[in-house]
Amino acid sequence: MDKKQGKTLWYALAGAAAGVVNGFFGGGGGQVLVPMLAGKCALEQRKSFATSVAVIAPLCALSAAIYWWRGQLDWALALPYLAGGLAGGFVGGRVFKNLSMTWLRRGFALLILYGGVKALL
Amino acid sequence: MKEWIIAALAGAATGVLSGFGVGGGSLLLIYMTSFAGVPQTLAQGVNLLYFLPAAATALPAHLKNGYVEKKALLPAIAAGLVCSALAAWAATALDVEVLRKCFGGFLILIGLRELFQKG
Repeated sequence: MDKKQGKTLWYALAGAAAGVVNGFFGGGGGQVLVPMLAGKCALEQRKSFATSVAVIAPLCALSAAIYWWRGQLDWALALPYLAGGLAGGFVGGRVFKNLSMTWLRRGFALLILYGGVKALL
Repeated sequence: MKEWIIAALAGAATGVLSGFGVGGGSLLLIYMTSFAGVPQTLAQGVNLLYFLPAAATALPAHLKNGYVEKKALLPAIAAGLVCSALAAWAATALDVEVLRKCFGGFLILIGLRELFQKG
């Protein structure tokens, strides 16, 4: 297998892993995809993040369709979050270029850990 | 009305992170399940839908800045679609409490990784 094929395979594996997590937890695919794109696929950090948005979006669309089909989609409940996401994504896309990610990381880690403990207890 | 506004604000705050490409959906799931009292499976469905407008508004900027690696898209999306369909099927068949415990374990793992990761 040459280098280009190897890279394509890693992209596919990264997408597969992100799909498993994203479909199962209804999110969190980026948590798996970004490190794999930056690691095994050797993408530059900012590219790993942005590419993750493009990959995860169609996975979310398909998973959402399945949740809907299985009777686990509440449109009325979702509506305000959709409106918020629309605005937030717009801001995120624009400030991303000038963002320093290191300060963000520790705070994010603590929030995630808090959520994990709450879910387990 | 108040609940609607709070939900929209939560979605907007996490939407910024989702636009960056990581973490927004995880935090929104925590908000919905721990603070807004939404059952795990329903929250996951909301979260999947919510990512679509966030990605749609963030992606034009990413594309314009040249941050989207186009060669990755086809293999990653193709493999991801198959796996996400199977995983979504499994999640919606699972008991909501079991799913919630799995989610907790997943969060602890990524939280620890973020906390101790160098660089």
